[in-house]
Amino acid sequence: MSSKSQAAQAGQALWAKMPKANAELFALTYGSLVTELVRDYEDPIEVNAQLDRIGYSIGVRCVDEFLSKADVAGMGLTTQCQNLRDTAEVVAKMGFKMFLGIQAEVGAFSQDQRCFSIYLQDNPLSTFVELPEDDPSGGEDLRRLKYSNLYCGVIRGALEQVNLKVDCNIVRDTLKGDELNEIRVELKEVLADGAGDDYKEE
Amino acid sequence: MTVHAFHIFDRKGKTLFTKRYSSIVKNQPVQDAELLSEQRKLIFGMLFSLRELVGSLTPEGESPALHSVRTGAGTLHCYETISGLRMALYTNNNPNMGSNARNLDTSKTSFQNALKHIYSELWVDCVVRSPLYRPGDIQVDGNGNDVGRFDIRSTNFEKKLDAYLASMPWFR
Repeated sequence: MSSKSQAAQAGQALWAKMPKANAELFALTYGSLVTELVRDYEDPIEVNAQLDRIGYSIGVRCVDEFLSKADVAGMGLTTQCQNLRDTAEVVAKMGFKMFLGIQAEVGAFSQDQRCFSIYLQDNPLSTFVELPEDDPSGGEDLRRLKYSNLYCGVIRGALEQVNLKVDCNIVRDTLKGDELNEIRVELKEVLADGAGDDYKEE
Repeated sequence: MTVHAFHIFDRKGKTLFTKRYSSIVKNQPVQDAELLSEQRKLIFGMLFSLRELVGSLTPEGESPALHSVRTGAGTLHCYETISGLRMALYTNNNPNMGSNARNLDTSKTSFQNALKHIYSELWVDCVVRSPLYRPGDIQVDGNGNDVGRFDIRSTNFEKKLDAYLASMPWFR
């Protein structure tokens, strides 16, 4: 799984096989979820954390589905990604394509190859969404809300299941006026496979 | 050719699912749960250590994966996913494919395919997609009712698994 076009083609094939849902329904459901969270928690930072947790649960489940579909389709995922660059390509080209049907690009690899960015041109979650302008009377500053923070949680959850502990952040967001969405992913550590508590030596 | 048992372990060694098919067990209805759990720990430990071993023995660029462990009494077929899920199918040694013994090689690959199928079609479809699924909090034995733990019997994973294994030519 080393060439970009291989990953892109594989992603295309996987997307074709997945059952589809209505994009508007999806965006509106997410929007109402975020609205409820904002209503409940009021503090946008707290809402970001909750979205990350929700995304984490989603990621943990998505990864099994991804691995099983990609494996069965003979995409050669039984050979593991050799380095973070391959992982990034797989996440962006195959993962995002398979579950959301969008093209995501990777780039901005750091010097030590431990960080990368995922760029999304269009974000299916933020269709119909506008963040309110700053409220001069001092209401909650919704500009601090990371609307698509779900993606960060999903990436974090999924990569943790394959022993990569990462930190994800949204650095650029079209809802805030930037021209594309950028998610920065940093590798914190590679977890070792260990046996659990049951197996601790006496 | 019989299937004796089937286990699924997670990355940490916790048993996610286990089932014994052998008719021998029926003669001993009260198998100590402690004993069975010890057995499973041994199986997991063996798989874990063997994987480390295989990883260091495999030449660069090849995919390290343990397919099966064969003893005089039976064979343990294994399949492991990158997400750490390990499936182990314990059978006896003579796969009766209906035709001759030259099929021995294909029988090995068909176990891998079967396990792959169980993972992708049955596990992912029935368990991972279940809204009640909680990774890390799975209850296996069904003794004691902790609320909030995911009981695998709430999905039809077991029925589908039985149906699938029974449909395999090497099942019985």
